[in-house]
Amino acid sequence: MKTKFKIRRSDPLKAEPYWQAYSVEVKEGMTVLDALLKISEGDDPTLSFRRSCRSAICGSCALTINGFPKLACSTQILPIAKETREVTVEPLSNHQVIKDLVVDFTPFWNKMEKVTPFLLPADETRKEWVIKKEDEKAIDRAQKCIMCGSCNAVCNSLDVDPNFIGPAASAKAWRFVGDVREGHRKKRLERLSGEHGVWDCVRCVHCTEYCPKDAAPLEAIERLRAKAIEEGVVENPGAKHVLSLVDSIKRVGRLDEAAMTFKTLGFLRSLGMIPFGLKMEIHGKLPHPIIFLAIEGMKEVKKIYSAVEKRRKKG
Amino acid sequence: MVIHDVIVIGAGLAGMRAAVEAAREGLNVAVVSKVHPVRSHSVAAQGGINAALKETDSWEDHMFDTVKGSDYLADEDAVEVLCREAPADIMELERMGAVFSRDDAGKIAQRPFGGAGYPRTCYLADRTGHGLIHVMYEQLAKKNVYLYDEWHVVEIVVEDKSVRGVIALELLTGKLHRLHSKAVVIATGGYGRLFNTTTNALSSTGDGMALALRAGAPLMDMEFVQFHPTTLKRTGILMTEGARGEGGYLINKDGERFMKRYAPKTLELASRDVISRAEQREIEEGRGVDGCVLLDLRHLGEEKINERLPQIRELSINFAGKDPVREPVPVKPGAHYSMGGIWTDVDGKTPVSGLFAAGECACLSVHGANRLGGNSLLETIVFGRRAGSAAAGFSFENKLRVFPEDALKDTARGIALILNRAEGESASGILKEARDAVEGHCWVFRTEAGLKQGLLEIRKLKERYEGVCVTDRGDGFNTELVTALEAGYILELSEVMLLSALNRTESRGSHFRTDFPERNDREWLKHTLIYKKDGGYDIRYRDVVMTKFKPEERKY
Amino acid sequence: MADLRYAYYPGCASQEITKEANEVTRKVAERLGIELHDMPGANCCGAGLITDYNYELSLALNARIFAQAEGMGMDIMTICSTCLMVMSTANRDLKKDPELLRRINALLSDAGLTYRGTVKVKQLLWVLAQDYGLERLKKAVTRPLDRLNIAPFYGCHSLRPSSALGFDDPQRPWSLEAVIKTLGAQAVEYTGKTKCCGFQADLVALDTAVGMTGMRLLSAKESSATCMVTPCPFCHINLDNYQGMAEKKISKKIDVPVFHLSQIVGLAMGMTPVELGLSRHLVSAEKILTGY
Repeated sequence: MKTKFKIRRSDPLKAEPYWQAYSVEVKEGMTVLDALLKISEGDDPTLSFRRSCRSAICGSCALTINGFPKLACSTQILPIAKETREVTVEPLSNHQVIKDLVVDFTPFWNKMEKVTPFLLPADETRKEWVIKKEDEKAIDRAQKCIMCGSCNAVCNSLDVDPNFIGPAASAKAWRFVGDVREGHRKKRLERLSGEHGVWDCVRCVHCTEYCPKDAAPLEAIERLRAKAIEEGVVENPGAKHVLSLVDSIKRVGRLDEAAMTFKTLGFLRSLGMIPFGLKMEIHGKLPHPIIFLAIEGMKEVKKIYSAVEKRRKKG
Repeated sequence: MVIHDVIVIGAGLAGMRAAVEAAREGLNVAVVSKVHPVRSHSVAAQGGINAALKETDSWEDHMFDTVKGSDYLADEDAVEVLCREAPADIMELERMGAVFSRDDAGKIAQRPFGGAGYPRTCYLADRTGHGLIHVMYEQLAKKNVYLYDEWHVVEIVVEDKSVRGVIALELLTGKLHRLHSKAVVIATGGYGRLFNTTTNALSSTGDGMALALRAGAPLMDMEFVQFHPTTLKRTGILMTEGARGEGGYLINKDGERFMKRYAPKTLELASRDVISRAEQREIEEGRGVDGCVLLDLRHLGEEKINERLPQIRELSINFAGKDPVREPVPVKPGAHYSMGGIWTDVDGKTPVSGLFAAGECACLSVHGANRLGGNSLLETIVFGRRAGSAAAGFSFENKLRVFPEDALKDTARGIALILNRAEGESASGILKEARDAVEGHCWVFRTEAGLKQGLLEIRKLKERYEGVCVTDRGDGFNTELVTALEAGYILELSEVMLLSALNRTESRGSHFRTDFPERNDREWLKHTLIYKKDGGYDIRYRDVVMTKFKPEERKY
Repeated sequence: MADLRYAYYPGCASQEITKEANEVTRKVAERLGIELHDMPGANCCGAGLITDYNYELSLALNARIFAQAEGMGMDIMTICSTCLMVMSTANRDLKKDPELLRRINALLSDAGLTYRGTVKVKQLLWVLAQDYGLERLKKAVTRPLDRLNIAPFYGCHSLRPSSALGFDDPQRPWSLEAVIKTLGAQAVEYTGKTKCCGFQADLVALDTAVGMTGMRLLSAKESSATCMVTPCPFCHINLDNYQGMAEKKISKKIDVPVFHLSQIVGLAMGMTPVELGLSRHLVSAEKILTGY
């Protein structure tokens, strides 16, 4: 089947990016990478893109394919071509383009370095650690990461704040924080809880949705946050926000927005929200600060809290 | 002027392990790699890494299995080092951060592998290479090794028979740079891309071997290429031996487990060369299914497949459209591993002073005529470490001698010639014909006539390569230029391989000559050595080192 | 045809800040003949924040909600995408792993509750697009919204993770556009309809949050949308309440009114701006609704 490929090309030093169309004869089983190779080995050898293992493990060929990040090597063409009639290929978003489909990964690697990307064992001399299946499992998903950059490319927080640590480095960080052998867990969590850290994730779930290897970066972020709170790293708005909801549900079974704002931002910063609050008040938007009704069956909720607490203490 | 104590070319497991070791000595170490470290092909190794860890196992048994697997072409002094040092290296990997899969007691688990008399393969599910390459990259960061990633080494500079450094092309800018160093370690991996059907990455083009040959170092045993018995039909993508280690069957079109006719004792866990030949025979004698045989995992059940072989399931579904939980997967032999390579001693030393090599690009030889599964990752770690340490030692003892800019100018002229050639042939066209010739004449079964024909074709292509030209005349990220350079390495190595295969008139391990179907220990218990000489090649031979075991008939 | 009875879970936001969404949903459901049964004992789903504290607590709190719906013999309908996502994710995990369900039920046992794993969680959008059906919805339209160019805003949690939600394809969702068109309005195509409104960072990284809000609104406006509709009250809070802050952050006037899904359905069924609680919105819809 002849299939139209629209490829986003550019040489940023020379001119504006442009679309170039190619027609490729596609056979059953052909991947987007096969098509790119076919183009570069025939029609147009000037087309630049990264590639290596072509079996979805080296992470070289993540591209924006029909609008979303995918590994070119593991994306079959026919199923998409049948649906959309043409295939668009662009470089990863949230990354600077070097040429055509090649983007600058320097910021990506720099973020990795920021999370001290190596194990700092609690005991350097121990030969073989006994590692239980569940300990192995705790970091198994994060360890599947192939550093292809798909998650960072679709991360909505990173889109707005390039300094955000991002999902890929967070998954890497969890791989150490969640390792039973790690010796500097708290220090890592303190750094990760700082500005542009894991609490800046807006939970858009793009990272986990588009990860081609099921590494689930959002799960890593959630686990880092939970571990930080468990280790007592709570002097930050993110952790306070969580703790105030934990408390709110325990008290009334549901979210008490006014109390949460106050607890998260603290007294002074809450005052800063007053002009905004007044506008909200005029439209009847502010939750009633005093009479906040508890749900029915609060006894059950309290029992669940204490059952969870009991289990937690048992480990 | 850029100066390092040690430069490592290639950032796979062997290269990074060498760099980490050299950096441990406090030296200024750099790694130059045409791809980022975690993109290196070690990342694709699936099954595992061997070591005699258990009390009921021993390094001597590991050694025996390796020597037998090699069809007695391995040098036993080197194999002894490999097997003896394996357990300590596994523990070191764990200390670095690797998490090997565990058994129920929380200890490192080990699975059976082909040609091994004991389940001694440690693994991280079915992505062992991936796990280890990320750990080694972490160590690289920890040791502050300088990284030139996406830099392509185009020449190893040698003066007065000793290494001075390298010349490298920075892909981002297209600029050539002089990098001076006292010692250079080559760790550029194998040459699977001499073939069409291969498990290897697109980047496994044997660069380092060709560069070493040009720099005066000999290549050894280049006729020995391992064909992996289970690669996917269209793409050649690897299905780990672990799939058979976990109990998978190979069946033909009649549903027969045909290995019982070829290796009645060990069946699907015979050595790789034996199984690949059996498959090729089944296919050629009409018992295949559409040019393949079938890998059947259905009886393992979904749970076990998901836990132990998750990647295998994913790859089968994505690349072959078959879910191994429900149906058998068509597989066939594919070029997988280069047993041959740059001749080194057990410390990675080549005959060129200051030049070292480790990993798949090197040949000690620990794999002889056929490598056992699980021994290649082990080789990268053990001999990467040793080469790194030896290179560090060398640079402590020697002074830096800077090479002149003229060398750079010569190289630049060569590249400019390609870039500025007004018309000519494209590298990818030449490469396609070269691979067809190699795959057609130097595959699982080989004959004198075929090898001669292949050699003829490659030599013609080499002439045509003199007129290679590129369409992309730009400086930045010119991947077409890289392909043109790689084509030069591939043609060179193809010729060397065909020549070595033509001269070896016996069948041993992976090298099978239908016109000489028997192993001939009387004449051929020796290694092939090829040197570059006056535009041609000089072939010499070297006796195999035997210390413990006498060659016997090899039965599985 | 599906049984149009649901255990109704409006979510915390629509019981306080976005009350109008809750009130209008009840009115619209009643007119359409969709039975909504209150869950006075339902607790907060945790909004994802409890997952950041202790995953088992999050599962247990959600299992408590599911157990109540199971007792009522109904599936759950919510009007909050975040509730939908949190409940669906918990439900997926509990249904997938019997061992986990057993562990969580052990935590519920002191409270005398058990979840058997039989409940489905839906949101109003899906109920309209599928259970109720678009043809039937079309028949309920008395005043087609043919003068409105509406930007559909899915946001995140009605689409992702698709492994838990699985209704719309997150790359090519259709349901919100389909409802808009059924009501007689035009659905505007623009970038960002499946991206984040910023809400979850409001109290943690306000700048990041408001920046996102502004980008979504501006993109819709530049694609000639006259208003926006969202199935999620949290998205509504940012897109409407924070629109002023977003305008300041990007230094551009936006002025795009934002509706709850229930409100445009009500509007097409002839309900008045007062009945729709539009005065509770910060960005006035008056100018685009003249004549309605």
